[in-house]
Amino acid sequence: MSISQIKKSLTARIVQEKIYNLLMQGKRLDGRSPTDIRPINIVTGLVEKADGSALVSMGGTKILVGIKTEVGSPYSDRPKEGSFTVNAELLPLASISFEPGPPDERGVELARVVDRSIRESKCIDLEKLCLIEGEKAYILFIDIYVLDYDGNYYDPSTIAVLAALATARIPSYEVINGKVQKTGEYFNLQLQSLPFTVTFGIIKEKFLVDPQIEEESALDVSLIIGVDEKDNIVSIQKNSPGLIPESLLEQMIETASEKSKFIRQKFCEALNIRK
Amino acid sequence: MNNEKLKLISEEGIRIDGRRLEELRPLKIEIGVLDKSDGSAYVELGKTKIFAAVFGPREVHPKHLALPDRAILNCRYHMTSFSVDERKPLGMTRREIELSKVIREALESVVFLEEFPRTSIDVYIEVIQADGGTRTAGLTAASLALAEAGIPMADLVAAVAVGKVEGHLVLDLCDIEDKYGEADMPIAMTPRLNSIVLLQLNGRLTKEEFRKALELAKKGIMEIYQKQKDTLRKKYSEASLMEV
Amino acid sequence: MPLYFSEREIVLPGQLLSDDSKRSGEGTYVLGGKVYASTVGFATIKNDKVCVIPFKGAYNPQPGDKVIGIVIDVKPNGFEVSLGRHLTATIRIPDKKEVQALNLKIGEVIYAFVKESGLRGVFLETGERIKKITSGLLVSMHPSKIPRLIGRRGSMINMIKKETGCDMLVGRNGFIVIKGPSPTNEFAAVSAIKLIEKEAHSQGLTERVENLIRSILAGGAENE
Repeated sequence: MSISQIKKSLTARIVQEKIYNLLMQGKRLDGRSPTDIRPINIVTGLVEKADGSALVSMGGTKILVGIKTEVGSPYSDRPKEGSFTVNAELLPLASISFEPGPPDERGVELARVVDRSIRESKCIDLEKLCLIEGEKAYILFIDIYVLDYDGNYYDPSTIAVLAALATARIPSYEVINGKVQKTGEYFNLQLQSLPFTVTFGIIKEKFLVDPQIEEESALDVSLIIGVDEKDNIVSIQKNSPGLIPESLLEQMIETASEKSKFIRQKFCEALNIRK
Repeated sequence: MNNEKLKLISEEGIRIDGRRLEELRPLKIEIGVLDKSDGSAYVELGKTKIFAAVFGPREVHPKHLALPDRAILNCRYHMTSFSVDERKPLGMTRREIELSKVIREALESVVFLEEFPRTSIDVYIEVIQADGGTRTAGLTAASLALAEAGIPMADLVAAVAVGKVEGHLVLDLCDIEDKYGEADMPIAMTPRLNSIVLLQLNGRLTKEEFRKALELAKKGIMEIYQKQKDTLRKKYSEASLMEV
Repeated sequence: MPLYFSEREIVLPGQLLSDDSKRSGEGTYVLGGKVYASTVGFATIKNDKVCVIPFKGAYNPQPGDKVIGIVIDVKPNGFEVSLGRHLTATIRIPDKKEVQALNLKIGEVIYAFVKESGLRGVFLETGERIKKITSGLLVSMHPSKIPRLIGRRGSMINMIKKETGCDMLVGRNGFIVIKGPSPTNEFAAVSAIKLIEKEAHSQGLTERVENLIRSILAGGAENE
């Protein structure tokens, strides 16, 4: 059962009006233009016990992702492939509006949307994660933790997941006499794709990109669009109640494509990747 | 793991990570690392890495849980799935629940809860990498987060784990020493008041060993306490002498 | 009285301040006849008592304080107003007609005065002492930094108002309403507030705030 979110952070009506008025003039509370993204910072390898990890900040929002590998059985309908699962937790550390307890629907949604972006873009070569066809395969557990929430946890979460995957050192296993054991060596995941999400906030007939927390409470509706490097749309999620004017969709898709390119460039620069 | 018995302490009294018996791991402390909370801290003790954040005093939800004469202190000790060797599934384990309780009780011993009736003070400890001593490092971090948040308390809390490994009493157990040693005793104190706010024992010690372990712990605690104070002073050292 | 600190020394919780248990003020506690600090802050003597002025502390409303709040509930005999964080204040109006006449709606912002504050709660003055704020930019900063925003005898806030050309209403509870001639001017005022919140305890702050405002107005710092 899903219940309307109780507004923990109070919204004054004059704030909503102000944000819209600013947007009409192409301005925002923090001085950005409607399509500007906040500064992105990527740190990888902070958690040595994880097989891959990344701490990403987008403005004041901070996300920590860690990857752990296990060996298990492949899915019966995909005997030649390894698999991955994505989980997310909105930590109570991060915001007055996150409470401790079982995964909140927002956390589950975050995990599933990021999962789809990675899966549909065929980012991870799952056949390379097969150990013994039909019997043993690598399973990657990708876990997202929101550490500090200043609006928009989707886009930095996607960046953090990709950064953790790109820099992961997966322990390699072998099967000897039916027993699965580590060989002591490691391999990298060669990512086949870099799909980044772009989050939009819409107020009446105007949209902005990468909403900051004060803006979020003034939005009518929000939408997330994931685009890969070939300009394919690999995920879309309307993640709030509200009406999206159909006339805005075309523009938002174009902007998503443009912004995804921008983030990809920053990402590759930060990780020294040629792509 | 091979079949040879792992030697945790050498003939010369050097531990598996190169430390002496009474040596702490390298300690790094940062204050004010998270923006959205009222106070926060990050502690690294060797490979153990922990964030702590405090919200409060704030309104209690649901209202009926509020106490008329004091604040409620809530504490959540939690580990990320990738903080340990074998992935820990999401959600709270029984160990995390127990540790949340003893840490909360430690902090309740020092915070002046009566100053904020009908409110709650929420403490969140997130272990992002666990290599032994997480509850004590978490408590050390939480105490700093409370100080940064301006929550009034009797003293800072500094904590460390002592234990027995291959017959020797050692300070600040790392994970492997905790796993294969004979005793692990986490202790937290308010040094100024010379009082103990957290004390547990997992293992077996003679009475004499207990006494010696306590002395060893106090040494470690004083070192950590000094570092906490130095870090706090440094953070505010630029304070101007204006009329506040 | 024997003191163990120097004036305006930064003290930490648990630090010994004096032996005179009869003269302990805010930010301190007494144990075993001695006075200790209970928060991180400046130790000082105020009204002949040893006090610690905390760097950060929850706002404790005092009668006469000017506050800005958001209406969160409408009742037959009054209104409930959020002052931010853990504070909810009440406007108590026994006369139903007066309640209707005041006509406050949920989400509305008001500027008001604290009437009383104690174990029973926080109450705001009613009637003419309530001013509705119908437009402007509402921002918040931690209440413990508001004195720094105002400055000695209003020096900081007056400088900001003058340099940005904005009207600013400051609530002691941390809410501030800004109304300026243009979005850029308002942005300059917001940026000034953010800088003060971040660096409240550093030297030369007034000058840095002034420079920041000027560079924003000159069109320089679009991204802060």
